[in-house]
Amino acid sequence: MNQHIIQTSNFSGKTHWDKAALASLIEAGRIHSRVYTDPELFELELDRIFSTSWLFVGHQSEVPSPGDFQTRVLGRTSVIMVRGKDKGVRVLVNRCRHRGAQVCETETGNTKFFRCWYHGWVYDTNGDLAEQTGDEAYDDSMDRKAMGLTPVPRVENYRGFVFASFAREGETLTEFLGGAAAIIDLMVDASPTGELYADGGSHKTEYRGNWKLVGMDGYHPLHLHASVMETIHRDPDSGIGSTHRSNPFDDTAATYTRDFGHGHSMLDFREHRIKHYEQHSEFIKKTSGGAEYIDAMHKAHGEERARMLLSISGDPHLGLFPNVQLIHNQIRIVTPLAADHTQVEMIAVRLGGVSDEINANRLRHHESFYGPAGAGSPDDTEVFERVQRGMQAELNPWLDVSRGMAREFTDVDGSTVGRISDEVPQRGIFRHWIKLMTQS
Amino acid sequence: MSSSMNKASLSDWQMLREVELFLFHEAELADGNQYEDWLELWTADLLYWVPSNDDNLDPQKKISIIYDRRAQLEDRIFRLGTKHAYAQRPQSRLTRLVSNIVLDDFDTESGGWVSSRFVVVELRNHVQTLWSGRMRHKLVREDGKLRINEKHVFLLNNDTPVGNMTFII
Repeated sequence: MNQHIIQTSNFSGKTHWDKAALASLIEAGRIHSRVYTDPELFELELDRIFSTSWLFVGHQSEVPSPGDFQTRVLGRTSVIMVRGKDKGVRVLVNRCRHRGAQVCETETGNTKFFRCWYHGWVYDTNGDLAEQTGDEAYDDSMDRKAMGLTPVPRVENYRGFVFASFAREGETLTEFLGGAAAIIDLMVDASPTGELYADGGSHKTEYRGNWKLVGMDGYHPLHLHASVMETIHRDPDSGIGSTHRSNPFDDTAATYTRDFGHGHSMLDFREHRIKHYEQHSEFIKKTSGGAEYIDAMHKAHGEERARMLLSISGDPHLGLFPNVQLIHNQIRIVTPLAADHTQVEMIAVRLGGVSDEINANRLRHHESFYGPAGAGSPDDTEVFERVQRGMQAELNPWLDVSRGMAREFTDVDGSTVGRISDEVPQRGIFRHWIKLMTQS
Repeated sequence: MSSSMNKASLSDWQMLREVELFLFHEAELADGNQYEDWLELWTADLLYWVPSNDDNLDPQKKISIIYDRRAQLEDRIFRLGTKHAYAQRPQSRLTRLVSNIVLDDFDTESGGWVSSRFVVVELRNHVQTLWSGRMRHKLVREDGKLRINEKHVFLLNNDTPVGNMTFII
């Protein structure tokens, strides 16, 4: 059964990942580690996943006014998310139509034009070619209207989250998000006015490991983050402790892993955290504007939903395959650089309609666990690098992701559900991964 | 040059020398990963701040890499002291130079603000990483000794992706 893999792993020349070879990488409860280590597979991923799937670009609040722009990298393509002079949000390829130079080297800002420094071609914020130096040397055969910055073929927006796809045709964003759309709502609706602003700054980190290692895993916290658990016991209201009351990672807790299909997965803390609503609302009330926040949430969402939304603190704990996660108060963008090199940007969001103190508290909670000097993220990336090094040993190259296979079930909304430590997300991600990788 | 100016210069020099020796001592403790002893250098109220992406940001509006008051810094030191702070297993091996020390607004009795620059070379898991930047210390004199009341660290690369920064910067 695995003959094919064993042959390719012993083969020092160029391998050919045909359908059969690809299919043999993924079995019911185990994954071949080449999916994380093989440079050729990485190139195929850029082609078959990042060039076809919907990808998260940014949040519309990053470009509130005409001329505001934010550059991002989708796969290997540098793009400019820009609010045009017509107020529309576009995603344009950051490459001069003349000889290919990047026209925007600044990550974020406001401009009237993007000017190529090489020969002086100028584009407006709608992406149209505004000025071509030495225009008289071109005859009428050049269609100047068609020489604007190349727009990424499809751009759609879900509640302010801007996604783009390089595929000219394919499923809509609604189809792509499926049941995960309602989970995005958990973050947006943490604002009583439904306003989210991705303007809280960001942490930019990188690690020497594969991009898929970020994943979504409810099995590791008690073990990898044992130092944080010990720290939380000192003060349950400090930092990450306030959202992890009692032990949400015990398999007897009302916490679940959830796979929505399309590789979208979630650690579902809703049922667990709502049990601590009274304690948590007292904690919120200690902050200036806290009582008003609770009141506004009840008015906006009704009692039942308000209690749930407040209990989870706007933390959907959702991973949208392939490049974005919504965790605690952050939009996390995962950018693959090589099979063994990944960048992660964590953008802090601000809730509209709440006091400055509440938003400042959310920043402090974020800092306590996340980022390059946080109590959690560095241990995550440390273990990703250790996994990447470990996977170089291919004598027995299989990774086990079978945890909870016998006890997972299908929920009424169609999602697959397991206990918090079950490897439902890992199986869901690779079910979708192999589908995209073997598509023609 | 009048004798009073000589005296002033001499007392400035003594003040600077005391601050230098204090910052060198802090650097030694940080390089040695002597977390508890390093924490002893601080006053009861404190701010340990490393901004993210920009040197000039409002930490109440924007995320920082580190924004620790006393409780958070105690948590940080406690966590690093547990057996499970894996990003410091093995610990970073560190050597840092602190230089360009300037007393900005400093009084020998009460203390004040000090500017400096630093270079830290970190070796961990066979990888050598260079960190550098600018620091501002607010030092205060308590019971005759200098202590750190605030420390702001402006990393040269705070707007680029960085790896594990769990050692004391």
